[in-house]
Amino acid sequence: MRSLSGRAFAAVALAALLVGCGGGQGSTAAGHRAGATPSSPPASSHAPAARSVSAVGRSTPVGLRIPAIGVDTPVMRLGLAGDGTVQVPPVQAHDRAGWYRHSPTPGQTGPSVILGHVTVGAYGDGVFRRLGELRRGEKVEVRLENGTDAEFAVTDVRTVAKAHFPTKEVYGNVNRPELRLITCGGARTGDGYRDNVIVFARLTSASP
Amino acid sequence: MRRTGLSALALACTAVLAGAVPAFADGGASQAPSPVPSAATPSERPSATTEPSAVPSKVPSAEPTRAPSGDQVSVVPSGAPNTGVAEPSSGSGGTWIGGGAAAAVVVGGGAVLLVRRRRATGA
Repeated sequence: MRSLSGRAFAAVALAALLVGCGGGQGSTAAGHRAGATPSSPPASSHAPAARSVSAVGRSTPVGLRIPAIGVDTPVMRLGLAGDGTVQVPPVQAHDRAGWYRHSPTPGQTGPSVILGHVTVGAYGDGVFRRLGELRRGEKVEVRLENGTDAEFAVTDVRTVAKAHFPTKEVYGNVNRPELRLITCGGARTGDGYRDNVIVFARLTSASP
Repeated sequence: MRRTGLSALALACTAVLAGAVPAFADGGASQAPSPVPSAATPSERPSATTEPSAVPSKVPSAEPTRAPSGDQVSVVPSGAPNTGVAEPSSGSGGTWIGGGAAAAVVVGGGAVLLVRRRRATGA
């Protein structure tokens, strides 16, 4: 009895010791989980990028509004010039933008291309005079012939030398509705300009 | 006597064990963190870093390359568009300003010469 009570006492003390050690391991496991949680935010931050707006039906653009730079202009149709370059709107007092008719209409899947002058000679400023001032996220609205308003958000604004015009990036295939706004910029060379200013935008909404 | 002796021994043993608990705990603690930062944490961090790097590389590459046929640019123009005709007035204005300044210098110089000659002949 005496020896039994002594052994029991020692056994209880050892058991208490082991329980204490087990608790320590539990806390390290919790630390692990805490360390693993930061891996989840990238997955959630990726989610908004995957958001896409469905394309709209084919309809010719008739108007263009860019509130941030005060543009509100009718849109004409443009084709190809005799030398294979893209046609540009005529140099006249009331300058307007033009849609390249061999590109998708705004809101369709693919890169829809709209061009406008930065200056129109003796007539002064062109319709895209302030295109280079646009910033990411700013709104571009296109009115279509069928009454649809396609709204785009600027994703990039680039000034590139005409000698290195990024043909593939501007006219190349894309799998969502996008918009390209093109004008001239940079230093003057003779009666023209050295660079092109290109605005890239993606469709954010379309209202019928 | 024996009882008290045994119980005293048992108490002494538990006291020793209890004293050793912190030492064990320290030992356990020193062992426990070492696998956490050295083995477990770095092994997870690379996996966490590889995830974000894989995400951006997938997104841009998938978007421009994969494209459905149909609604795309059917005829790609050559060259860059000429969407700007510079104002002609500003260049000619500059030449006018330059010419005017040169004329003013010539007239001023002539006047100075005339004054000097008159003074020389007068004296």
